Amino acid sequence: MASTSTKQVQIIYGDATLGLRGNHFGYIFSYERGGMESLVQYGKEWLFRTPKPTFWRATTDNDRGNGFSTQSAVWLGTDMFLKTTGVEVAVNGNAIELPIAPVNNQYSDHEFADNVTITYTYETNTVPATTVSVAYTVTGDGQIDVVADYHGASGLPELPAFGLRFVMPTPATEFTYDGLSGETYPDRMAGGVEGTYTVEGLPVTKYLVPQECGMHMATKQVTVTRNRTLNNADRANTPFELTLNQADEPFAFSCLPYTAEELENATHIEELPAARRTVLTVYGAVRGVGGIDSWGADVEPQYHISAEADHSLHFKIAGVL
Amino acid sequence: MTPEISWLDDPQVFRVNQLPAHSDHRIYQGDADLKAHQSKLTQSLDGTWQFKFAKNPGERPVGFYDPDFDYSDFDTIKVPGHIELAGYGQIKYINTTYPWEGKLFRRPAYALNPDDTGKGMFSEGEDNTVGAYVTRFTLNPELRDKRVVVQFDGVEQAMYLWLNGQFVGYAEDSFSQSEFDLTPYLQDGENLMAVEVFKRSTAAFIEDQDFFRFSGIFRSVRLVGQPAIHVADMTIRGEVAPELTNAKLNLTLQLQREKNAAGTAEIEVRDAAGKVVMTSTQSVSDTLKISEDFDQVHLWQHVDPYLYSLKVTLLDSNGDVLEVVPYDFGFRRFELKDKVMLLNGKRLVINGVNRHEWNAKTGRAITDADMVADLATFKANNINAVRTCHYPDQIDWYYMCDHAGIYMMAENNLESHGTWQKMGAVEPSYNVPGSLPQWREVVLDRARSNYETFKNHTAILFWSLGNESYAGDNIAAMNAFYKEHDDTRLTHYEGVCRNRVYEDQISDMESMMYDPPKAIAEYLDNDPKKPFINCEFMHDMGNSLGGMSSYDALIDQYPMYQGGFIWDFIDQAIEMPDEITGQPVLRYGGDFDDRHSDYEFSGDGLMFADRTPKPALQEVSYYYGKHIN
Repeated sequence: MASTSTKQVQIIYGDATLGLRGNHFGYIFSYERGGMESLVQYGKEWLFRTPKPTFWRATTDNDRGNGFSTQSAVWLGTDMFLKTTGVEVAVNGNAIELPIAPVNNQYSDHEFADNVTITYTYETNTVPATTVSVAYTVTGDGQIDVVADYHGASGLPELPAFGLRFVMPTPATEFTYDGLSGETYPDRMAGGVEGTYTVEGLPVTKYLVPQECGMHMATKQVTVTRNRTLNNADRANTPFELTLNQADEPFAFSCLPYTAEELENATHIEELPAARRTVLTVYGAVRGVGGIDSWGADVEPQYHISAEADHSLHFKIAGVL
Repeated sequence: MTPEISWLDDPQVFRVNQLPAHSDHRIYQGDADLKAHQSKLTQSLDGTWQFKFAKNPGERPVGFYDPDFDYSDFDTIKVPGHIELAGYGQIKYINTTYPWEGKLFRRPAYALNPDDTGKGMFSEGEDNTVGAYVTRFTLNPELRDKRVVVQFDGVEQAMYLWLNGQFVGYAEDSFSQSEFDLTPYLQDGENLMAVEVFKRSTAAFIEDQDFFRFSGIFRSVRLVGQPAIHVADMTIRGEVAPELTNAKLNLTLQLQREKNAAGTAEIEVRDAAGKVVMTSTQSVSDTLKISEDFDQVHLWQHVDPYLYSLKVTLLDSNGDVLEVVPYDFGFRRFELKDKVMLLNGKRLVINGVNRHEWNAKTGRAITDADMVADLATFKANNINAVRTCHYPDQIDWYYMCDHAGIYMMAENNLESHGTWQKMGAVEPSYNVPGSLPQWREVVLDRARSNYETFKNHTAILFWSLGNESYAGDNIAAMNAFYKEHDDTRLTHYEGVCRNRVYEDQISDMESMMYDPPKAIAEYLDNDPKKPFINCEFMHDMGNSLGGMSSYDALIDQYPMYQGGFIWDFIDQAIEMPDEITGQPVLRYGGDFDDRHSDYEFSGDGLMFADRTPKPALQEVSYYYGKHIN
């Protein structure tokens, strides 16, 4: 193995993936899977499947009552069956020809850069279709700067949500965040008190019918702690962490054991499967929950998410020390 | 008198041999049992009763009240409690439609046709389950040789009572205390009490609240031994003068005297520090009226719920104490001035919640511990008011609210939602009580019971005529009843907004439910007649309570906007073991094969059904905390 630099990120120009390595980290970006396939820090894997843009939230009682989910149902299909339509790679800010075989034969086993950006483009199954791009920029310290851009298209129904969803292999033991107390939404966050909070386990808010829950608005940082991996050779039971930091603005997130679709399908909390994963979703746009009534009143207009407008999400996954 | 099962079918029969409603004061034998808060003059009948369930009136054990009846096939049941939660009868939740929807065709007697008496509708109702309750008791020594009454605090929905084989009386109104004189039927040694509880009667049409539909003796039962001179009723009125410093205490005692017994009544008032501030001694008569001026009174309000302690001691002609009656009361001035509701001269802002009595394990059979927990939640989250939706609560709750400074909207047990609103549309073709003469007395009786029982509670600022029952002459008569009896409180009723013909006769305030903030502003911008209150707003079903800032903004914008009561305080769901895992889980409408159902619609609380807070509670605490008053 060639020597590595603490300042630079090593690039592995694979036939199916682009590997990015450094001291205590290793990331794999898949051409086949249409996203980041592996995020390892200090030997611990953080990804179960590739992160994907997310558009759906599990229908709330108010969503059901005012018909929102019915009107916006197309986003459920897109949430589940999003297509990857493009992958681009840039090294030190310069786009390169996609380094798949045989283009990648030009490279060696000691390729380094200050930063590498890999950008995936996704196309929605909506009519009309639109696109979302997700760009990961990795630097030598292992930090990943993540930018997701939703491109609005006229004629699309309002979005339930826009974010990027990370599914982690095992359930978190706790997460700690710097933001607002409790579960908050754009139209229900005045009572949230700023501070640093630790939430133990991965609680699903026990609404009678499982639904969208666990949102944390205006967050500066979140650290997820796990203590188990799926690696058969790793029996350690010691806590390890992954931290997300805000970039330009605070972000919203939820950290739950289930996807929106899993929550959507349950009529009671006990119908949800045993908690096996961590679903960390970082949001660029959150729709309000509403509250005037539960049988028709809409969420106040300023808390809607227009699908005809652009939406952006920017945050950083902390690197290794 | 012979009891008739046809009473179940007749809206004009709702109380037979029941004693008149009276103030909810408690009586003690003397200072010792008063201090211990354990009256020796009362004897609880709560506990395990014998019980036989019948699916319908035809299968009920006729004659089970006879001491010679063979009880060998009777089970046991816990009193208080719901029959359904004891495993008899299907649990059902439904909101507005009647619980027999899709199964039986029923229209309220006289509603569509003056000749339609409703004969057999409930007395032969195939869905009218029956609980036959039996208990035996021997009077405690302190109750012997006294007039003995029995008090049922809540029996749903119609009950017949026998003692030692003799018929005593009949009662409806599930949520008001029913009291009967047992004295003529008592015997030395063991007595046999039998209560036949029917799940349905004509009361079903006016008890169509949005809740689980239960039956049974679900609140406490007790005997009370009344001494030879006894306070039958008391009216405490603290009239605060407009300048808010001086007040007049008007006390009226109705005494019940055995053979016109002579004696004296000693009346004493202490302030909260225990200092005696008033005493009076009077010879007893049927009615005693005492009026006393108080200078520099300490007013009662949410932030300072200052109470004075009244004590009435009745003594016989030898000077021996017969009965002691305590009652804590406050001085406050509540008025409507320039179309704004003022409490002690200041504009009132209601930071309220609607509260059903609920416990996930026991349904509406709740305990004092549940109430204490609820008040702690109120205090911790700046909730200053409660609407007793949509029925009178347990008596203890009113005392607790006096002490905690929680403004009360005391609501009658009345909701006939299914008679006038169908699939969301206003369609009052068979509305009751409406203006039907046959449905007038029954609702007036409910207004009277609510007033007479709770009239001395300082915390009550509003008498609420009921919920979602449309409007007609009969509800107007309820309003008139309160106006005739009480000028220290205001009347409230939302349903008049559905039939504005009655708006000058019903409700001192414009009350709406779930009006969006813009609609409220529109009302207030257009020369409003009455101050505005949300009797229900911010429907906290599931993950909700977004947008409260828009309601909050109205408070500073419009003096006539006086806040509201969030819907609602606690989810109604039932804790059951999961069929698969055996773990305790919360179940809702439709989970008991109950159809037609409104499923999870009863999950609208700020608290989950297990009394843990929903995340939205911090938002309530924040906005309500901006207007502490």
